[in-house]
Amino acid sequence: MTVEIIVCLKQIYDLAQIKIDTSKRPATEGIAKKLSDFDKNALEEAVRIKEKHGGNVSAVIKGTKDAAKEALSMGADEAIVYNVDTDSLGTAYILAGVIQNMKYDLILCGEASIDEYSFQTGPRLGHALGIPVLTYARKIEMQDGDVVVERDLEKGYEIAKEKLPALVTVTKEINEPRIPTLMQILGASKKKITEMSPFKPDAGVETLSILAIEMKRKEVIIKDVEDLAKVIMAER
Amino acid sequence: MDFSFTEEQELFRRSVREFCEKKLAPWANEINEKGEIPHAILKEMASFGLLGITISERYGGSGAGFINATIAAEEIARVDVSMATAVYYLVEAGWGFLMDRYASEKAKEEILPDITKGKTFLGIASTEATGGSDIASISTRLEKRNGKLILNGAKTFISGVREATRYGGGYVTIVNTNPDLKNKGLSLCYLPVKDVKGITTSIFEQMGREGISTGTININNVEIPEHFLIGEWNRGFYYAMEGFNCARTLVAAACIGAAEKALESGIEYIKERHVFGTPLAKFEGIQFQMAEEYTKLEAAKLLVHKAAWMLDQMYAENRFSIGEINKAVATAKLVAPTTAFDIIKDVLTWYGAYGYTREAGLERGLRGVYSYIIGAEGAQNIMKIIIGREILGKEFAPY
Repeated sequence: MTVEIIVCLKQIYDLAQIKIDTSKRPATEGIAKKLSDFDKNALEEAVRIKEKHGGNVSAVIKGTKDAAKEALSMGADEAIVYNVDTDSLGTAYILAGVIQNMKYDLILCGEASIDEYSFQTGPRLGHALGIPVLTYARKIEMQDGDVVVERDLEKGYEIAKEKLPALVTVTKEINEPRIPTLMQILGASKKKITEMSPFKPDAGVETLSILAIEMKRKEVIIKDVEDLAKVIMAER
Repeated sequence: MDFSFTEEQELFRRSVREFCEKKLAPWANEINEKGEIPHAILKEMASFGLLGITISERYGGSGAGFINATIAAEEIARVDVSMATAVYYLVEAGWGFLMDRYASEKAKEEILPDITKGKTFLGIASTEATGGSDIASISTRLEKRNGKLILNGAKTFISGVREATRYGGGYVTIVNTNPDLKNKGLSLCYLPVKDVKGITTSIFEQMGREGISTGTININNVEIPEHFLIGEWNRGFYYAMEGFNCARTLVAAACIGAAEKALESGIEYIKERHVFGTPLAKFEGIQFQMAEEYTKLEAAKLLVHKAAWMLDQMYAENRFSIGEINKAVATAKLVAPTTAFDIIKDVLTWYGAYGYTREAGLERGLRGVYSYIIGAEGAQNIMKIIIGREILGKEFAPY
């Protein structure tokens, strides 16, 4: 059977480029944005499933048109973008509002966004849509109307199966996302991008400020090996 | 006027940067130390569409314009500042484009798909023992004998000789087809070099860009098929000048990429490194130097990007005369290598003794970029002659 897949993605600042300013806030001016890493794993998996079984991949993206073009270059067939800043509960409500009017068999999300790491958006979205949720998938197989996944656990993994439609969150181990080539980038310019302006739902959590963690230097002066041994023993 | 790249061009830059950082960066030291680019890396670059990027899609290329080709050249040189990988990339992008425009259909079908797959190498063979700048004195002869094309002569200081004899491939070769006509007696042909009767080669030990070889090709009664003639007989000078404009733009772009990476690392270093209790960046002697180098880099970038844009405009929209293109490209090629050299030299000096180590990776950039000051793809003084000729008129050309 062909598979209609929706992938949820978030555009974030490239964390590797962010510096902390003198007021301990992250300085984001001039910092490039990119799709969150695990979300790219989800998109890559969706494209691989489509390549194997046929179907369609729709990307629903919190971000700008730039992010939509990146997702389309990676193989999504169409993209829907919105740019409302809210927490994971608010994001799940927005996504549910957008997705409930779309046709889908499978929804894929990254296990978390790499800027906030709440791990909540996927499960909350599944709950809002009233469909089964399988988290932390490191492998996905489509089998006769079911989705079978290997779920990564702390010590080992489990194999779980659910009837479609279902939502699956993926880990970074599931695949290596493709890097779009020039041909794919230019080819993506013909694909459809829909911009939406959903209302901002009442946030469960309001972020007041984001500050860098301060790590105080221990400033221990070690004079000789005996001194070093004492310090090590004291820390054991 | 709009100085920004399109969204697609920005996305392409991010893609090439990610590709280069993931796939090429881990090999940059080995490329420099072992003196070769692993073939597996070249094949990865080909799969990603970087090799022969300007070649048409029907031969496996991406049909890229020169702005996109310039972006890729910058990004490759940012990661491998020795310039070795950038050289491999840019000769194929520049001269592959020319072959695509002027070679026979049969030759293109035989040669270009293997270039874009990363199986074989395509280079440029212009320079001879008498020099590289004086193209009119090229003496390698191409003659028609009994319906066959026969070559005799020697080309030297040619990039990729070891790669072309090892993997296969060959050269866009500038040859003399009528010694009485000087420039107007030159032609272009494709010369394969692997396992070809009458071809012998030797390799130079060079001071830089060790990852790609440079050598001599001796050509003794080598027979090539007639369809390997590129374009029309005796029109080679004009094709070659076109090819040089393409390759020089990419050379300048590669220099910019290496310089930009060096300056970024230098800026981080002078902010972190403390001397006498103060960051190096607070000393005006360093800060002013940084400001000057940044300004020079921005100026060089604008020249390079303008040249690439003009090439795209010329090929897509038939804008600009060849004289305007010659001048814009020569200006970019004149400025970019010296700017890059100055920047890398200053950053190396800021690093102090560490900068002088191989580990710091700056010395290989300095040595690599210097090849373009010496004259690969056209000596600096030749750029000045081109600029002078286009401003003053041909009657003031010294030669």
